[in-house]
Amino acid sequence: MTRLLRIPLYLAAITMLAPFYWMATAAFKPVPELTRNPPSFVPGDPTLDAFYEPAYDPAIRKDEIVPGLFQRWEDVPGGFLRFIGNSLLVATTVTVLSLLIAALAAYALTKMDLPGRRVIFVVVVASMMIPWQVTLVPNYLIVRNLEWLNTYQGYIVPALAKAFVVFFLVQYMRAIPDDLVHAARVDGAGEWRIWWRVVMPLMRPALAAMAIFVVLAEWNNFLWPLIIVQDDTMANVPVALSRLNASQAFNPQHMGVIMAASLLTSLPTVIFFLAFQKHFTRGIALSGIKG
Amino acid sequence: MTAVITKPATPARNHRARQVARWRRAVPGYFMLLPFVALFCGFLVWPLLNSLYFAFTDFNGVKPPGWVGGENFARLWTEDTRFRKALLNSLIYVACAVTLSTAASLALALAFRGTSWQDRIMRTIFFLPSVTSTIAVMLIWRWIFSGERFGLANTVLSWFGAEPVSWLSTPRWTIPLLVLMAVWGGCGYGMVIFVSGLNAIPEEFYEAARLDGATLWQQFRYITLPQLGPVTTYVVITGLIGAFQVFEAVYIVFRAVSSVGGVQDSALMLVPYLYDMGFTRFQLGYASAIAWTLFLIIFVISMIQLRFTRAVREL
Repeated sequence: MTRLLRIPLYLAAITMLAPFYWMATAAFKPVPELTRNPPSFVPGDPTLDAFYEPAYDPAIRKDEIVPGLFQRWEDVPGGFLRFIGNSLLVATTVTVLSLLIAALAAYALTKMDLPGRRVIFVVVVASMMIPWQVTLVPNYLIVRNLEWLNTYQGYIVPALAKAFVVFFLVQYMRAIPDDLVHAARVDGAGEWRIWWRVVMPLMRPALAAMAIFVVLAEWNNFLWPLIIVQDDTMANVPVALSRLNASQAFNPQHMGVIMAASLLTSLPTVIFFLAFQKHFTRGIALSGIKG
Repeated sequence: MTAVITKPATPARNHRARQVARWRRAVPGYFMLLPFVALFCGFLVWPLLNSLYFAFTDFNGVKPPGWVGGENFARLWTEDTRFRKALLNSLIYVACAVTLSTAASLALALAFRGTSWQDRIMRTIFFLPSVTSTIAVMLIWRWIFSGERFGLANTVLSWFGAEPVSWLSTPRWTIPLLVLMAVWGGCGYGMVIFVSGLNAIPEEFYEAARLDGATLWQQFRYITLPQLGPVTTYVVITGLIGAFQVFEAVYIVFRAVSSVGGVQDSALMLVPYLYDMGFTRFQLGYASAIAWTLFLIIFVISMIQLRFTRAVREL
């Protein structure tokens, strides 16, 4: 039966890849070829014009010359690279801080005898049912009142308390024998030291799995930045892409540049995934099975 | 031998001393919890309560909120035709997208659960959309479903002699396209979960069934499916929750010049409508009522899920 299933699925795999291929070809087609009918499936004359158009001169604007990706956003220092930098900065900071915060909380909830820990854990798990969009309006107002609109704090601080990460780490931490912690306590180690020296090293696989999730989620985060970013300089890559699209949506001549930007946005995560594939699937499997 | 008893130890006293010691030992634990709990309260619990309050006000972000009672909810549930459209679209989309992508995930998992290099490559291919930036993917779809003749979808149609379709501005194509995007983007994620579920089924079950002469279909029907029950529940529930929150697909692919929901609001769903009311019209009170409606829907779905109860039982 499984062998029979495979044949149509191999065909489906081609359809899976087709959109990626269509994006990649568009990114390397010269502008006239983008709107040719019928379209070319292999760029006849591959070019990097969508990234950088040598004929473009900001002083002389001509409609038929489309500026390349790295020639846009003249008022933003660094242009597209700036958005990649913003995204990277936010993604790494949120990942490191939220994992540290969550791992501390998970340790206190599982390895220490805290009065009231059960209630706290129940509230944390229950909060996972809340669609985060419910907090969109109030969080926008909080960030506005703190004057954090258009700042990195506005991106980072509201994203730090991740109930799902605590839940996942608690599940994993339960599997670490309490005896290890007791032994360290008998040896006179303080709780912070036990957390960092004994428990955290054993948590590495779980932390890696969660780090991957958080990095990806932050790299792709869209709705929250869309709301708090007003000035192009502070945009992350998804918001910049969406603005690029909004300004040129009905002009197919700009599709090459938009596809070039999409390519540059997808490539890092795809490479990241291929490099850490094992952690990825294990993380998903753990969260799915244990849940 | 004389025992010198300095303090007569009464049970009550012992108990108090133990309680004090327990609290003292717990102090560093509360410090460890503090950062998470503070942020959790500040950016989740407090906003949640605020949002509930706003839902009963006419708040517009500028004037202080004025209490209007249940007016927002009354307007939302009985009068607002756009909301009805958004809810209906969401329900149809969620039902189709979750059913199809769960079925596709299961089929993929059954076909490519092995450890051979072919299976691993196939799993990688089907998982790729899950790690690609949603916005980038949506821009690609927009390009593929271009209404012009040179769009990929129209080119494929032309091979079969069909006339080009203006996909994105034809309302009856909207939901099918959104479902296609959801299945394309989501089947790999479900597949990975199903694969680990399949690999957890003991091989002896199948051996015993084969000895009893069970056909492949019977093995699937009476071993695989029941054993996958909890995994399937998880895939379906997380799929439902995710599908109700769809935003990017609508915002990037279908947004028309004047409205978030595309032509005749054919792509309008709950979160895009929430965004539209809250952040283009700044009816923050009304938007909060939409948000709480979304919450109620997801709450009901989540209650079905056993994860919550099971996780609590374990602690």
